[in-house]
Amino acid sequence: MTIPFSTLPQRHLVYAYCIVWLLQFGYGTWVAINWFREKRS
Amino acid sequence: MLVLAFGFYKAMTAPTEATMGNLYRVFFYHFPHASESYLFPYLNCGASFLYLYWRGRNPARALAADAFALASAEIAVLYTTLGLATGMLWGRAAWGIWWTWDARLTTYLLLWLLYVSYILLRRFAAPDQTALLSAVLAIFAAIDIPICYMSIRWWRTQHPAPVFGGGADSGIDPSMWPAVLWNVAGWLMWGIFLLGLRYSLERRRQARAAAATEHFLGNIALTEAQ
Repeated sequence: MTIPFSTLPQRHLVYAYCIVWLLQFGYGTWVAINWFREKRS
Repeated sequence: MLVLAFGFYKAMTAPTEATMGNLYRVFFYHFPHASESYLFPYLNCGASFLYLYWRGRNPARALAADAFALASAEIAVLYTTLGLATGMLWGRAAWGIWWTWDARLTTYLLLWLLYVSYILLRRFAAPDQTALLSAVLAIFAAIDIPICYMSIRWWRTQHPAPVFGGGADSGIDPSMWPAVLWNVAGWLMWGIFLLGLRYSLERRRQARAAAATEHFLGNIALTEAQ
């Protein structure tokens, strides 16, 4: 399946998926980094 | 991660919807985040009740409940933020507006604000009062969850009527079910994993703070003895 980025609905579909990955995995990375830091200290 | 990857594959290969086209695929990420954003506030509320119960009886357990409450509140903010963001992106493309003050959207925004204020309270309250004040706020905040959940049943809203369990006209095409279920399961497992990791981190911080306090009190006792 191809998602043409030229129309607003298709663009917003891509934005929605990207924001989910960014926030979910960004937060997960932040927690993991702090978890390892606490483990070492 | 495998379940999430498979959920993404299912979301992209599900049949295209007749009226919205590909845009409806936002639903496969919006629905899991919005529905699971009701679960974590309840966990936060339960842990806060346990904190208040154990506070005077078993301080060690109370500390564990407090750590769990903080972890679940952070995950609640994360899922609510994503429920709002995906909903707004979908709304702008489908309705032509980013936002409207209907009952579902307003009560959902209130839910987000309540848990953001919970996090801010934990950050800025006086350290000896943080756990107690935040536990009381958590119990108060949980009142909004059933109101938000029922809002599309109680009032006529811009937000669509319930897709699941909303009567004879509700439901989705059976070919879309695998994408919904894989994504609900994937994001739920990911949320539980994050909750466990954040709880573990908070317990380590508590242990370090307790050790530092013990060390400080030991030094004071030593100074007084000299």
